[in-house]
Amino acid sequence: MNKLICHRLSAAICAALIALASPALAVDEELIILDWSGYEDPGFHQMYIEQHGDSPAFSPFGEEEEAFQKLRAGFKADVSHPCSQSVRKWYDAGLLDPLQTDKIAHWDDLNKGMVEAFKFGDSYYAMPADWGATAIAYRNDLVPEEDVQSLQVFVDPKYAGKTSIADNVDDAYALAFLATGVSDWNMATHEDLDRASAWLREAHKNVRDYWVDGTGLAQLMAPGEVVIAWAWNETPTTMNADGHPIGYNRETTEGSSTWFCGYVDLADGPNDEAKVYDFFNAWNDPGTVDYLVNAWGYGHGNATAMSMIGAEALESSYLTDITSVPLLFQGPLNYDLREAMIAEFEMIKAGF
Amino acid sequence: MPWGRPRISPEAASGLVLISPTFIYALLLLATPIAAVVLLSFWTQDYLDLQRTLTLANYQKAWSEPIYQSLMLRSVKISLLVTVATVLIGFPIAYYIAFMVPPRHRPIWLFLITIPFWTSYLVRIFLWKVILGYGGVINGSLVGLGIIEEPLKFILYNQGAVVLTLSHAWLPFAILPIFVALNKIDRSLLEAAEDLGDGPVRRFLHITLPLAMPGIVAAAIIVFIPTIGDYVTPRLVGGPNGLMIANMIEVQFKKANNAPLGAALALSAMFVVTLISLLFLLAVRKYLRPNQ
Repeated sequence: MNKLICHRLSAAICAALIALASPALAVDEELIILDWSGYEDPGFHQMYIEQHGDSPAFSPFGEEEEAFQKLRAGFKADVSHPCSQSVRKWYDAGLLDPLQTDKIAHWDDLNKGMVEAFKFGDSYYAMPADWGATAIAYRNDLVPEEDVQSLQVFVDPKYAGKTSIADNVDDAYALAFLATGVSDWNMATHEDLDRASAWLREAHKNVRDYWVDGTGLAQLMAPGEVVIAWAWNETPTTMNADGHPIGYNRETTEGSSTWFCGYVDLADGPNDEAKVYDFFNAWNDPGTVDYLVNAWGYGHGNATAMSMIGAEALESSYLTDITSVPLLFQGPLNYDLREAMIAEFEMIKAGF
Repeated sequence: MPWGRPRISPEAASGLVLISPTFIYALLLLATPIAAVVLLSFWTQDYLDLQRTLTLANYQKAWSEPIYQSLMLRSVKISLLVTVATVLIGFPIAYYIAFMVPPRHRPIWLFLITIPFWTSYLVRIFLWKVILGYGGVINGSLVGLGIIEEPLKFILYNQGAVVLTLSHAWLPFAILPIFVALNKIDRSLLEAAEDLGDGPVRRFLHITLPLAMPGIVAAAIIVFIPTIGDYVTPRLVGGPNGLMIANMIEVQFKKANNAPLGAALALSAMFVVTLISLLFLLAVRKYLRPNQ
């Protein structure tokens, strides 16, 4: 094929084409990981590279629903990386194989709350991998500290047109539930949801734009266009590193939230299962934990390794344990309530 | 046709053979998916399963709920504004190339107009964000010159920004058909008008503009139809109040788990586009007849 095309092109273009194609061919084609773009970072699977000589092949996605639709349409991959809310849906759609936990190194070191959230029937379906906080990020040069002691700042007319909320139904409702006094959404009723939605409608009036990713939010906050955001802990970590004055408060009166994601073994994966577990084990390696926390500012599902990271690193990434205020843990939610949340959030974002 | 003779003449047969690969290709890749979307729009979805009982419920929802009505109206409004803007801006450029630029330089000019296409559309959207942004080029200059104290916020993340970005992106598609129509105009007609005493304005209104109409109509249709379904521009520069119908269609197919409603919305948008285009063609039909 290459030869045929090259025959018709000049030698120089041909050489360039082959050079472009080669890196893609160099990776280990045997294991296919459908992952968030960015997670192909070799720092996350060093052990796998040592064992197999190369990284697995990554197919990136930007949004879980995109990955879900791709898999349902017949895309064959071995491993994927949904977040807490989606695992149940993927399981219901028959996309997941139960994990053979005895093959996973450090399984007993994993965060128990997260592990149990992924248990359906008698089996576990996802290995907790990364987690982070969602809380108030603010421009500490433009917003006085006393203003961000309560989540009600998001409905304060003083900040009209100067706030941003995640374009992500789970983070947005975590905020709205906390602000209306619900800190465990598994206990939430439809009346609680109505109250939260009403609050979010108020907050919508202050929103400049809903942020989709950390870079987009950084672009809103750096010039001071947005001064208060409901953001992941990644935002203050990376923006502070770039020299921007960003504060982060996980301890507002009403509390803050945490989210988590996991790796799953996809049903009908085309390749060797043993390599799937090699990949999982590389992720659970303390070296990966260290890299994830220090280079990316996220927490890791390996609780034992996290406890060895040292308080200073955890503090600078805003990943310390919070006990003083409520913490809404974004665990899987019953689907009825979640569908109602999704429908309402789309209405609110469109101004209805 | 008498019996016993072949029903299809050899020329017609070879013609059919020639078009059939294209026809089959178009049928497979256009008609089949549309048929599937039509069918889907009459089904319903319950979590992960499609219910195959035929129902009009999705269309009722698509046409009666205020959110969908408002998004559809907003999309039509934005597309119409973009169409008007591109034609108004594109016409003088096309006119200049057709009448002022010497013929041997015209290919270069047409080539220059396509330069924006050399960069990805996404890059151009992000450039608009850089220009219009809070700390962007316009605000930075105005604040720097002391004309304003606080950066302007109404120039990005709203419907105006969507119109601006789309107009810029679609401008070449308006210029090219208008140029073709203007270029075809028989120059002796213009001389005749002048000889008969028309001033420049009268000559333009009575000769040039009517003869350029086929190009203007083509430009309007080419810009209007695709922009109404645009989804990435409102997503990136539209802000909370600039979303369009295509964004809602995406939401239905993905997050909201309601592909049938998404299909009904998509077909409703197609219906609205077709209707407006037909009305438009009807309104300008007298300019589209071939010259006697």
